[in-house]
Amino acid sequence: MNVNISNQEGKTIVRLDGRLDTSNVEQFQQDIAPLMQGEKPNIEIDCTGMTYTSSQGLRMFLMMQKSVMSRGGKMVMIHMNPQVKEVFDITGFSNIIAIL
Amino acid sequence: MHCEMILDEYRERRQEFEQIKNVVIDTLRQRLENNHIVVAGLEGRVKTEKSLTGKLELKGYKYRILDDITDIIGVRIITFFSDEVDVISALVERIFEIDWENSVDKRKMLEIDRFGYMSLHYICRIPASLCTDPTIPQLNTTRFELQIRSALQHVWANMQHDTGYKSDVEVPVEHQRSLNRLAGILELADEQFSRIRKEINDYRRNVQSLVANGNFNEVPLNGDTFRSYCEHKPFKRLADKIATINQAELYEDSLMPYYNVLVHMGMKTIGDVERMRLDYRDSAYQLALIQLAGTGLDIVAYSVTLQNLCIVKILKDGFGEAGLIRMFAALYGESSYNAPRAQRIYQQAQKINLI
Repeated sequence: MNVNISNQEGKTIVRLDGRLDTSNVEQFQQDIAPLMQGEKPNIEIDCTGMTYTSSQGLRMFLMMQKSVMSRGGKMVMIHMNPQVKEVFDITGFSNIIAIL
Repeated sequence: MHCEMILDEYRERRQEFEQIKNVVIDTLRQRLENNHIVVAGLEGRVKTEKSLTGKLELKGYKYRILDDITDIIGVRIITFFSDEVDVISALVERIFEIDWENSVDKRKMLEIDRFGYMSLHYICRIPASLCTDPTIPQLNTTRFELQIRSALQHVWANMQHDTGYKSDVEVPVEHQRSLNRLAGILELADEQFSRIRKEINDYRRNVQSLVANGNFNEVPLNGDTFRSYCEHKPFKRLADKIATINQAELYEDSLMPYYNVLVHMGMKTIGDVERMRLDYRDSAYQLALIQLAGTGLDIVAYSVTLQNLCIVKILKDGFGEAGLIRMFAALYGESSYNAPRAQRIYQQAQKINLI
């Protein structure tokens, strides 16, 4: 899993590539740690290159969402491929996290 | 000359007054929070030197020393509803030492044919039993004024203040009638807000009782009633059953986003929602089983229960993929994800003979 974080017009773009699973979830947590502070974050997670997420990945996205909401910010996930989207749908996570 | 002495003492103690004001506000904020009382405003100020000078010029003869002036520190609590003034006044009386001789309930001063400024003014001290601070020597002896008024009374006071007249007796008689009319409207509005709030609370208690007693058909479906229904965790058994598919953790998210979907589906009462739960819980579980088994996904959201129940009902009622697309649009808005998802679910439903 490659994680690329950049800033564009006041928005933080997190670009994910590859599989997010038990083998790399800790690394992912470290990569996004800087985003877990500051007021009113505006985070967009670009999933164009993400091919899979496990339950551990779902937990990470949930943690991010909670952190962002508690700081009055917003988080959306975009460009999700059908396989990854299905994981969000069948677990009910589409009801929790905004997916555009 | 004595006014100059009063002003000198004021300048010396200015910082101390600020500290006392902050203690009062912090104490009130804490106690209001502990008692779950939400107010429209809590504000305080220390009288400015300019304002004090003006007061002394007008009424200096009334004050011998600075401590004779009781509104150097002023704190105000603004309630949303007029009937909350009494609740908060009872709280204030428990917290502070009240100087009853100088406290005024202006609400009781108005005659039956008069309208106008209504507010509760207390003159208080911070009792030593509440707090002491050696760095603020006069913390427990300095008096302060505490006003409690409703938001509309606050509006009235500010509007009248804006006219430039300190009291209604000074207002030219030709404008007095207009001001009285306006005060009457505000007083009426205050009463109506309190009455409406009481009626809404009575309605909610009645609905909660009907839901608790299982009289679902008598309960119309709306945001309030759906929330009450959800508080009884009607889908918990189904959620636990779905969670066992992968020995999954259940994440308790809100079901409120589904209220719109239920309305779109034509449900009129909580009884309609309950019937859907009873009629389709097995099918909703079967759908979850075909979707989750073998995936190893060991976390599911509680809302997956209502999601699957709605999906099953839409398909059983013959609305097909188009019905599912409408459901997803009601939940997430128009999206390119909706049609493929509907198609995928339709195929899964065919596999398990749901349709």
